[in-house]
Amino acid sequence: MSRAARERYSLRPTAQLRRRKLVNHLMEAIGTIAALAAVAVLGLVVWAVAKRGAGALNRDFFTELPPTFGETGGGIANSIAGSIVIVLVATAMALPIGVLVAIYLNELAAPRIRRSIGLVLDVLNGLPSIVIGIFVFGLLVIGHGQAAWKASFALAIIMLPLVARATQEVLALVPDALREGSLALGVSRWRTTLGVVVPTALGGIFTGATLAVARAAGETAPLLFVSSVTTSQVSWDPKQALQSIPLTIFEFLESPNPEDHEKAWAAALVLMTFVLVLSLLSKAFLARSRRKLAR
Amino acid sequence: MAPTTDTIVPVAPIEVAQREQSRPAAQREVVFDVRDLSVFYGKSPAVKGVNLEIYRTMVTALIGPSGCGKSTFIRCLNRMNDLIAGARVDGKVLYHGQDLYGQGVDPVSVRRWIGMVFQKPNPFPKSIYDNVAWGPRVLGMRKGLDDRVQRALEQAALWDEVKNRLKRSALALSGGQQQRLCIARALAVEPDVVLLDEPASALDPIATSAIEDLIHDLKRDYTIVIVTHNMQQAARVADMTAFFSLDVHEDGSRNGILVEYDETQKIFTQPTDSRTEGYVTGRFG
Amino acid sequence: MSTMRITFQEELDSVEAAIQEEGDYVLRSLRSVLNALAQNDLELADEVIAFDDEIDRHYFEIESRIQLLLARQTPVAMDLRLVLAMLHTNLHLERMGDYCVTIAKLLKLAGHIDPDAAMLDAFEEMGSRAEEMIRVALDSFDRRDVDGATSLVDLDELIDRANRRAVEHVLELGGDPEYREWGLRMIIVSRCLERIGDHAVDIGEQTAYLVTGEFREFTDASHQDAGR
Repeated sequence: MSRAARERYSLRPTAQLRRRKLVNHLMEAIGTIAALAAVAVLGLVVWAVAKRGAGALNRDFFTELPPTFGETGGGIANSIAGSIVIVLVATAMALPIGVLVAIYLNELAAPRIRRSIGLVLDVLNGLPSIVIGIFVFGLLVIGHGQAAWKASFALAIIMLPLVARATQEVLALVPDALREGSLALGVSRWRTTLGVVVPTALGGIFTGATLAVARAAGETAPLLFVSSVTTSQVSWDPKQALQSIPLTIFEFLESPNPEDHEKAWAAALVLMTFVLVLSLLSKAFLARSRRKLAR
Repeated sequence: MAPTTDTIVPVAPIEVAQREQSRPAAQREVVFDVRDLSVFYGKSPAVKGVNLEIYRTMVTALIGPSGCGKSTFIRCLNRMNDLIAGARVDGKVLYHGQDLYGQGVDPVSVRRWIGMVFQKPNPFPKSIYDNVAWGPRVLGMRKGLDDRVQRALEQAALWDEVKNRLKRSALALSGGQQQRLCIARALAVEPDVVLLDEPASALDPIATSAIEDLIHDLKRDYTIVIVTHNMQQAARVADMTAFFSLDVHEDGSRNGILVEYDETQKIFTQPTDSRTEGYVTGRFG
Repeated sequence: MSTMRITFQEELDSVEAAIQEEGDYVLRSLRSVLNALAQNDLELADEVIAFDDEIDRHYFEIESRIQLLLARQTPVAMDLRLVLAMLHTNLHLERMGDYCVTIAKLLKLAGHIDPDAAMLDAFEEMGSRAEEMIRVALDSFDRRDVDGATSLVDLDELIDRANRRAVEHVLELGGDPEYREWGLRMIIVSRCLERIGDHAVDIGEQTAYLVTGEFREFTDASHQDAGR
């Protein structure tokens, strides 16, 4: 209450404080600009692709086959079918193995093994996709011919570390207290993992899977070698070499026909939309798994 | 004017007849016979040379300052220490005469009969029903699951509060309710012994009181061992009390030891060891 | 939350019931010794002395149980006052029992002498008054009735007066040495009955303490000033 106390504990800002406040504002401004720039980049990409590709989007685009040489119209129905098959088969290969690897690493492996295999996965993650493409080409295609499932195999190699690492991270987030609670009931380790740990981490596992699928859907390099000599019919047979959307974009752009260029943009739009939807979906799964783990 | 004759006839103090639970030592059935038990984490001993017997359908409390091995000791009774890398157990723990750490003994079946409830409630992120039914389902007790779940929840004094929302998530319950749910979960597999590691320390006083009343009911059917840092709780709830303390050596190393183990009424009215007296009177922690 | 701490509440109720039962035993002892006095029955006096073992047994058991209640349940507030009040009441009842034994022993020492009728009447009157006081004291304790407890002061007044009259009467007896010995003994008997009344008042004070939380002596007959 006294004047001395008021002066001693003054609430008015000092010069140093005013300087700090200025610096604060400056940093905030810089941060905001950087964030806006990042948003702008994505916005530009989306806008550019949408603008150029939207024109060619119609029902035919999704249902028709590509036009024979010189003709107009048509669509990329075969590419869509092919992409679906290739990605589905790749997911069927990569997802179970990736999840099991993660379970092994997190629940059962000794710390040293965990570190070594983790390193292997990280290296695998960084392998250029074209190297993987050549590898699969050399291993499976030379002398045997191309096939969609072989492309799936290549994509699965790309997806595996993504699924495994994401699953491992979310398994590690499951509190030990839950495992202890189950073990203390006289339940075995394996049943505990399957019945308590994995269900709790399910949201995070879906997140990892979704992101892996998004990545695989857009990979082009392996498809170049392994599934490029294709029919222009719609086929769902994985033993055949099937057309895929990324490859279609590539081929359309190489064509002299300007209409094909438009189709390339449209195909890019389809692919981008697919990846965007998957990314949003993965975020939703993440939020769900956070809710489950939150106390 | 005071009376001149001797008015009080000398009478020897009569042994007080307590509730039916307290019986002379010779009549108690031994569930755990612990002989010279020591636990090491790596090289350093956490607790050394523990000798005691746990009796059937009684509540045995382990009290003492923090860090003197109470939790370490109780986790030996259901081999939960196996889960800690580098943990080693010396000495013997006989459970109904069987060596708990003997060759060929599967820790999973040990925990089937000796359940545990932890300090912080840890319900599974499943529904209330599934939390309680999980253990029995996995262990093959599928018949009459609904009845089993209800019985367990009734024993844990939680049934009335949750009977209309069994399918809701267990995480929506309050702290005290979650802990009672964890108790129900442990009871659902019909164990022989229930170990409680500071079950009420994360709860408010009213929830604590509910747990204490619950323990009083449970000891009719189960053997209960409880670790508590709240000695008044031990005084209220336990039939037998074991006091652990720290043994500090000249080289500075320290480990937990069992100082005194006796009937609770003795520990809190006339402890034998001065360290026990110092601890329960609050003069020395 | 009346359903909490069931064990504790049950034990409190049980100890209180034991106190009431001890009170019944004391009443039996008192009535028996009064009858022994009236009929000069020395065998009945022996029974009273033997019966005190029962009262003592109750006393020690209640003491032990209260010790355990304090050690194990850490009672506070009303619970603590109840436990302490029971502790004191237990002692007062036991002392009453001892006074009955004293009367019985004195009767045995003086029983060979023919009693004075007036004294016996006085004893019966004092004794009945004491019995009434014990009943009122225990009943007020049971019902937590402070007014009932305070009324004990007036009853005690009556016993005190009867005691003074008894002393005067003995002094009047004078002469005969045998009668003098008897008289001395009977003064002590009278004093015992008066002390029993005092202990009943003490129990009443415990009831008041239990309800109000204040330690207070009731205004008694020996202090003529008004209470604080």
